[in-house]
Amino acid sequence: MAGIKTPRNFRLLEELEKGEKGIGDGSISYGLSDSDDISMTNWNATIIGPGHSTHENRIYTLSVECQKEYPTKPPLLKFISKINLPFVNSANGEIDVNKFNTIKQWKDSYTIEKVLLDLRKEMAAPDNRKLPQPKEGEYF
Amino acid sequence: MSAGLPKRILKEAERLQVDAPEGIQAIPSEEDIRYFDVSIQGPDGSPFEKGIFKLELWLPSSYPMEPPKVRFLTKIYHPNIDKLGRICLDILKDKWSPALQIRTVLLSIQALLSSPNPDDPLANDVAEHYKTDEQAAKAVSKEWTALYAESL
Repeated sequence: MAGIKTPRNFRLLEELEKGEKGIGDGSISYGLSDSDDISMTNWNATIIGPGHSTHENRIYTLSVECQKEYPTKPPLLKFISKINLPFVNSANGEIDVNKFNTIKQWKDSYTIEKVLLDLRKEMAAPDNRKLPQPKEGEYF
Repeated sequence: MSAGLPKRILKEAERLQVDAPEGIQAIPSEEDIRYFDVSIQGPDGSPFEKGIFKLELWLPSSYPMEPPKVRFLTKIYHPNIDKLGRICLDILKDKWSPALQIRTVLLSIQALLSSPNPDDPLANDVAEHYKTDEQAAKAVSKEWTALYAESL
């Protein structure tokens, strides 16, 4: 059964259903920005900052754009909440495709969930967890 | 592309072309023969009459042990179809049997257009509307058909 790939829309419907049920302990979540959008292009996501880091207890919101070529091509991600991370553009919140490995080495088996979980892992990584952060509640 | 494709899928696809059920069209995509561009004509006497509704259908790798995946791409005001075009139909879920086919699925969807079932809703607001004021709800369905389901 190798080589059988779920087409974009049915793949995104699966991801949506999983997101609607809630992921794990709730430290990440995502859903459609517009529940009417039949193309399922624009999504909202949240990440709750990991403990033992400068992100602890903060709620970060992000926008996720799944274009026509998803999941062959990775989604476009942007932090809406202000955050200081080496792979996030400090002017507009965009994630630098070349500095964030999950996107840089994208595979079509990856999901929105995986990207968010990996972002959260990065926040807790030794190099990043003590980075000074902007005031809470600020937006790009 | 068709290497390793189960004979059953090829046969079903072929029969859908040469002997299509009335008011139903299902064309396999050139890149993926498991993916079909579907259009269903709104049944006469229903609020969807004269509309052409576009759908997409895909056969997962476990088909026919598992049902096809189907959804509407045309907006439709129907108690069993939600805003994203997802369809609430028993044979697409627990009542699926490998004896059923793409053809039977599409005919069932066409029948669902003629007889909505507001007691097993997917779009709760639409179902409520159908239950409390069927005439008004049907009028909206008709309006949406004219607005979104372009007819020829």
